[in-house]
Amino acid sequence: MAPTSQVLTKHSSNVRTIILNRPQQLNALTLEMVSQLLELLNAYEEDPSVKLVIMKGEGRAFCAGGDVAALANGSWKQGAVFFSRAYTIDYLVATYAKTQVSLIRGIAMGGGAALAIHGRFRVVTDNTLFAMPETALGSFPDVGSSYYLSRLPGFFGEYVGLTGARLDGAEMLACGLATHFVPLEKLSLLEDALCKANTGDPEIINNIIHDFSNKNPKLKEKSHYFRLKTINSCFSRRTVEEIISALEEEEADRNMDDWISWTIQALKKASPTSLKISLRSIRAGRLQGVRQCLIREYRIFCTILQGKVCKDFFEGCRALLLDKDKNPKWEPSKLELVSKQMVDSYFAPLDDEDWEDLKLPVRPNLTSYAISKL
Amino acid sequence: MDRVNFRTQILTRHLQTHQTTTDLLNTAPCVSYTPPELSEPSPNFDTTSLRKLLDGQSVEDIDYIFNLMIQSNLFCPRERGGKVFIAPDFNQSMEQQREMTMRRIDYLREKGAFDGWFDRKGPEGDLWRFAQAESVSVFDHSLGIKLGVHFFLWGGAIRFMGTKRHHDKWYKPTETYEVKGCFAMTELGHGSNVRGIETITRYDASTGEFIINTPCESAQKYWIGGAANHATHTVVFSQLEISGVNQGVHAFIAQIRDENGNVCPNIRIADCGHKIGLNGVDNGRIWFDNLRIPRENLLNSVADVSPDGQYLSAIKDPDQRFAAFLAPLTSGRVTIAASSMNTTKIGLATAIRYSLSRRAFSIRPNEPEVLLLDYPSHQRRLLPLLAKTYALSFASNYLKMIYVKRTPESIKTVHVVSSALKAVLTWHCMRTLQECREACGGQGIKTENHVGHLKSEYDVQLTFEGDNNVLMQQISKALLAEFLAAKKRNKPIRGLGLEHLNKPAPIIPTHLTSSTLRTTQFQTDIFCLRERDLLHRFVTEVSQYQSQGESKEHIFTVTYQTAEDLGRAFSDRLILQTYLDVEATVPEGPLKSVLGLMRSMYTTIVLEEDASFLRYGYLSTDNAAVVRKEVLKLCSELRPHALSLVSSFGIPDAFLAPIAFNWVDANAWSSV
Repeated sequence: MAPTSQVLTKHSSNVRTIILNRPQQLNALTLEMVSQLLELLNAYEEDPSVKLVIMKGEGRAFCAGGDVAALANGSWKQGAVFFSRAYTIDYLVATYAKTQVSLIRGIAMGGGAALAIHGRFRVVTDNTLFAMPETALGSFPDVGSSYYLSRLPGFFGEYVGLTGARLDGAEMLACGLATHFVPLEKLSLLEDALCKANTGDPEIINNIIHDFSNKNPKLKEKSHYFRLKTINSCFSRRTVEEIISALEEEEADRNMDDWISWTIQALKKASPTSLKISLRSIRAGRLQGVRQCLIREYRIFCTILQGKVCKDFFEGCRALLLDKDKNPKWEPSKLELVSKQMVDSYFAPLDDEDWEDLKLPVRPNLTSYAISKL
Repeated sequence: MDRVNFRTQILTRHLQTHQTTTDLLNTAPCVSYTPPELSEPSPNFDTTSLRKLLDGQSVEDIDYIFNLMIQSNLFCPRERGGKVFIAPDFNQSMEQQREMTMRRIDYLREKGAFDGWFDRKGPEGDLWRFAQAESVSVFDHSLGIKLGVHFFLWGGAIRFMGTKRHHDKWYKPTETYEVKGCFAMTELGHGSNVRGIETITRYDASTGEFIINTPCESAQKYWIGGAANHATHTVVFSQLEISGVNQGVHAFIAQIRDENGNVCPNIRIADCGHKIGLNGVDNGRIWFDNLRIPRENLLNSVADVSPDGQYLSAIKDPDQRFAAFLAPLTSGRVTIAASSMNTTKIGLATAIRYSLSRRAFSIRPNEPEVLLLDYPSHQRRLLPLLAKTYALSFASNYLKMIYVKRTPESIKTVHVVSSALKAVLTWHCMRTLQECREACGGQGIKTENHVGHLKSEYDVQLTFEGDNNVLMQQISKALLAEFLAAKKRNKPIRGLGLEHLNKPAPIIPTHLTSSTLRTTQFQTDIFCLRERDLLHRFVTEVSQYQSQGESKEHIFTVTYQTAEDLGRAFSDRLILQTYLDVEATVPEGPLKSVLGLMRSMYTTIVLEEDASFLRYGYLSTDNAAVVRKEVLKLCSELRPHALSLVSSFGIPDAFLAPIAFNWVDANAWSSV
């Protein structure tokens, strides 16, 4: 493989390691990478000599997500191609016939996190940093996250998806996003051990990871996860407006609570349209399978890219990724200005002759491995 | 064999590691689970659009309640075969089940699910309230009934029978559950015949109080949901006697427990005990021992008593006064009809999904066993019920819409339609559950698989808020009255969909063919013909008895056969009409085709199953044979859509049962 390749692979008898290799950009996914990953995953699944697939990132990050800044500039149809491939990968991973392990060092955000979370074994470590930061960017948690966020305990998924809260490895393990926590210094030893074991038996793999892992990593003192009770009582509300007012009531009850103020701020900074789409999408996801989730999210993202209802995604990319003034001007600017009809339109098929719903491959393996380990 | 050796061998086998078991499984050919999603064709129509036709604008409200239930441990989530299911723990004692129902309601209330219950106005408000009640019933009938008694019966009585002073006083504490309401109408001695109840209330002008009394054992209030454990207040139905004159049945508010849950003085309460189902509802019995309540507690929207004891009512006719009293019961029938459809959907989705993954017997040696739903006989058992469920669900939506848009002029229609559909839909529910239970074989017996257990949970629907047989006879009485009134006025008959009676009788072709059976023209014609003919027969029969000088009451007791046939005929024609109305809103395309197919299945199965078509000669025996053949054909045409049609029900996987999914994993040794 060419040395400049954005995806590297390593062969070790029956084990294949896929390495995301764009370290300067924190391994953010390009169309090229997505196409390559799709090809590799399909090939490994068909190749009878492959028993185990490991995924990891080169450098400081696992993967920072899709290279959305590039997408915001192109036509919506180009974007649609990128997302249909990216979502197909998520679907492949969620239903993968071979045993698959993701080693999540550093940042795993948005589409990058999804690559790992849909898989069977999600190993996090001391410096893992997870977030679904889309609402701050005028977009919404996609890549099948309406499936896994909605399956977190209580209404933690709504919280993580709407606020873009950052979770560390211990928090990911606690809420079920990760299956194992392995200390940073042992991570490469684990990788070696997995290669040496040369097996695809999930039970053996589980035992090996288990041996290297810290079963009870301590949650930091200010962990979001300690707030689950408040999160459940506020983020279970019917609408975004009601969520915010529930938080404000909580804030009034206990003055000077940094966490609540931060949460309210995060929601107020996010695109109002994004928040409403995100909440509806996560709640729909709770009642659906991963396939239906991806199909719905594809509809939503194509509508966003089409830019007919609202242009917040382009504004968000401008303010946070291109001009970096961090001061997006959302339109509509307030939650109450985002009508039900506007939100509805994101969930309907696109009004465009060339457009069609996401076509996902028929998969031989539909077992629900992607269910969070709670 | 040496005894010790033998025991050792057995023990060793018990202790064999999991690993060995797996190896054994790998080497021996074994029945494995294939999800129907893989083996079945993908839907050729948009399943979300079809669900929208079922749940309309309430989809989001329903899904919100589903979300709340799925995310709480109070709803007993358990993992089976890699999926999480929620269902009440029916292995708990009656007392525990009752406490759990109350705790679930508290949870939903805390989440704000009932906020603004009484403030939401107009049709939207009514639809929202229905959506809340129906969606909780998908989880557990007890939860739906407990909620329904409090909000629809107690709350509905305050709303419809009370006036501003009652609204101001009771709405808020009812919404917040500071007051837990129940509804004391039925007595040991009187159920459907509400006008015969024996509880008696008199007025004491010297203190400005009513005195409620239970004069005899048969007057004890019976089956009062909420009364045994939790309710603090009740609406009491009682005869009102003013200065020795009985003014008929009236409703009063009485407190039965204090804020600490102690039963109030002059009240006695006993438990109805363990039931065949619905044990999460605390049904109780109440006796009133000359209980004194303030004059203001009379629900006085229709009639009042002045402080000095004068009886005042704007409606002079006691019959009309009584009819006005029963308004709150109509919303109950609407929810019962709608909930029975949800239960039917759970049963069918489970049985059909199972029949698409379970195999039995090979047709030829060395061939794989055949999927249950590939047997024509299995198709015949389940697919007509599936089509019928769609037809009846559309009808239930129609009922909901005429209820929420009701006007004083349409009240009579709402009453007749709600009676008809409550009976037909709940009967269909029980019948479907029984068929689904049998179609799941032994697995249908397990409580965790729902279909069998739901029968006992839902059986009571056929009785409460109007016994189905009584309701069916009432429809015929109403139709008769309409017919005679039109004749008397010498005007064409209008309303209840009876306009077809003004036209000449439709002609049914002498020789039916498959294509004729599928035309809307024929389907409408034969349903109208049956209704028209039966109505005429009923009119003739009644007038014959009348000419013999029989009393009205006696006539209706002896003409029940025709009355019940006519009730069916009216309901079936109404259901077909609402189906056609729904179909007309759908643009040409695959969804419309599948709807057309199901309509033909619905009408054809009614023709095949209802004896009246042969009994009265609407079908010749030759034509009945054509109908029977057509059922088979329709089954095989509907077969490829079976999975998509149950998926479109929109019942989330978590509310279905392990046998609807990977029942091999769900029962694997590793999950023990």
